[in-house]
Amino acid sequence: MDLEAATILGKLIGAGLAMIGAIGAGAGIGIVTSGAVQAMGRNPDAAGNIQTNMILGIAFAEAVAIYCLVVALLILFVF
Amino acid sequence: MEKLGLNLGYLLVQIFNFLIIFVVLKEWVYKPILGLLDKRREAIAQGLEDARVASEARAHAEEEAAKIRAEAQVEASKIVRDATERAEAAARDLKVAVDAEIVKLREDAMANIEAERNNILGDLRGQVAALAIAGAQKLVGEALDEKRQHALLDEFFSGVKSGKVVVLEDVGFSGDSAEVTSALPLTDKEQNAVKKDILAKVGAQDVTFRVDPSILGGLVIKVGDKVLDGSVAGQLEGLRQSIR
Amino acid sequence: MEQTPKKKGWRWGFNRWLVLLFIVGGGIAAKYYAPIQPHVQLPAEPVPPVTTLLVVFAVLTLALTVLIKRWEGLLMAAFFGVLAALPLFSGFVWVNTLTALVIADIILLLMGFGVYRAIKGGELVPGGMPGAIEALLEALYNLTEGTAGKWTRFIFPWFATITLLVLIANWTELIPAVDSVGILEPAAHGYAVQDLGWAETIVKGEVEHGAEAFGLVPFVRVVSTDLNFTVALALIAVFMVQVIGIKAQGGAYFKKFWYTSTLFSKPIFGVIDFGVGLLELISEFSKVLSFAFRLFGNIFAGSVLLFVIGSLVPVFAQSMFLMLEFFVGLIQAIVFGLLTMTFMAQATQGHGDHEEAHA
Repeated sequence: MDLEAATILGKLIGAGLAMIGAIGAGAGIGIVTSGAVQAMGRNPDAAGNIQTNMILGIAFAEAVAIYCLVVALLILFVF
Repeated sequence: MEKLGLNLGYLLVQIFNFLIIFVVLKEWVYKPILGLLDKRREAIAQGLEDARVASEARAHAEEEAAKIRAEAQVEASKIVRDATERAEAAARDLKVAVDAEIVKLREDAMANIEAERNNILGDLRGQVAALAIAGAQKLVGEALDEKRQHALLDEFFSGVKSGKVVVLEDVGFSGDSAEVTSALPLTDKEQNAVKKDILAKVGAQDVTFRVDPSILGGLVIKVGDKVLDGSVAGQLEGLRQSIR
Repeated sequence: MEQTPKKKGWRWGFNRWLVLLFIVGGGIAAKYYAPIQPHVQLPAEPVPPVTTLLVVFAVLTLALTVLIKRWEGLLMAAFFGVLAALPLFSGFVWVNTLTALVIADIILLLMGFGVYRAIKGGELVPGGMPGAIEALLEALYNLTEGTAGKWTRFIFPWFATITLLVLIANWTELIPAVDSVGILEPAAHGYAVQDLGWAETIVKGEVEHGAEAFGLVPFVRVVSTDLNFTVALALIAVFMVQVIGIKAQGGAYFKKFWYTSTLFSKPIFGVIDFGVGLLELISEFSKVLSFAFRLFGNIFAGSVLLFVIGSLVPVFAQSMFLMLEFFVGLIQAIVFGLLTMTFMAQATQGHGDHEEAHA
């Protein structure tokens, strides 16, 4: 195996590993949505407010996955 | 950075593009739409205010209507009451008049009946006397003096003997008016005699005559609250009392 | 039991056969010209021929303006003229994401002009397309009002512009021929070229020995997959957050980052608060990063997903994923705008709230 092939292999494996971090974001988004939906079920009047905060929470949780994606992209395309 | 595609020139192009879009949209879209929103909110507020005023006016009108209705009801009930009262009064007047009429008619009828009966009884008197004489002749077997008999019978029926009232022989009281009851109507001559006698003995000016066949014969004279019973019925009763 | 009336000819509906026809057509097309996964790359590719197109557009718009005699047309012509002049008279190289940006801009400006005309027409409730945009903007406005209170008037234009621009930009992905029509350029890992007579296409298969391999550079590539666009938006958003913070609180806004008032009165918590302030400073920079890469990541990943699905299952499957991309584009636009709005609203509130939360 020459060096170039090894580099490509390493990049691919590294990008794949980096995206493992998306697991946390996925679980987080699930928890946020579950809580928000329960809250909306208990208090439908506050649904609008809850929805806004839910989207904010999802965005923050997703930010982690985005960082993973950035790292993966950096590995794949930049280095 | 090169490999990520980040490039200061393109970045600036994007920033300026955004700013152009921002300014244009702000001028073309946001300002008119916010104005529109304000106008619409104002319109809604105005509409609500109008509705409030209208509902107030309606409540006011309803109150007014209720007042008018109550007044009308009072008026109507007053009119009805008046009418009822008037009708009742009219009915009462009518009834009184009718009652009076009826009473008068009845009295007239009674008087007529009385007079008629008296006439009939007066007619009967002669026949009764003749029958009685005939019967007595049959019983006695010999004919008494007919004139004498008539006199006796007249005396029997009228209680007047040779111009004098029998029951007034020894009367001890006096009065203003007297009522004389006979079994059969008295003749005018007899009435005059009775009147004269009563005036003399009792001093009564006003003498009325009644006919009551149930006393059978003789006279019952009532002066004030005193009654002189010279009737045949009264004598029979007295006889029954004494026999017992 | 009532007998339901038989639906006559339910089996012979028209549209389902159309769909089937298109699916079969897609299958046949895929058999002869198999979809090829384009070369995925992060930076936007230069497409110089678009400049010519822009010049043509500028001339056309100018002609149209003269024809319909409306001054607004001049604006559009000038817009195209400037865009065409940029690459012509400077070293500027036109890239394919800029084409998508121009398309999004035109759509937005036409939309805005429609709303402008409808409202200037004096209608209290505009109908049609302006009415729909007005309803959307009203919903956004109410959302802003619920969060920002008295700063609504300042925040709302930024919120709405970012949301609308990102929304339109994301949805350009759904336009046919985007990402698939372009110029052929020699590429290292290219494909063979087949001449169709009126156009050329790359086809799957071995490159003939000695012949050159080609790759496709599309004329239009979704602008959200260009980091320049997302970073520019993120920079503007975070910058405006600082601006509104200073506007609302004055110099007190910076106490959020350099918090020294409890440093000596409450030794331990004071130090912690100071550290939190420094973290806030870092988080402002991370906001730029997360704003930029959230949008870029989602849309870029969407594009790659469409390429991959298109080349793996050439028939029908991509339609479903286009629908998914429709929602992803909508959600990312709303999230970008909503986060900007929320950060702005938070910046208007003082550090006092923070302290109360501590106590």
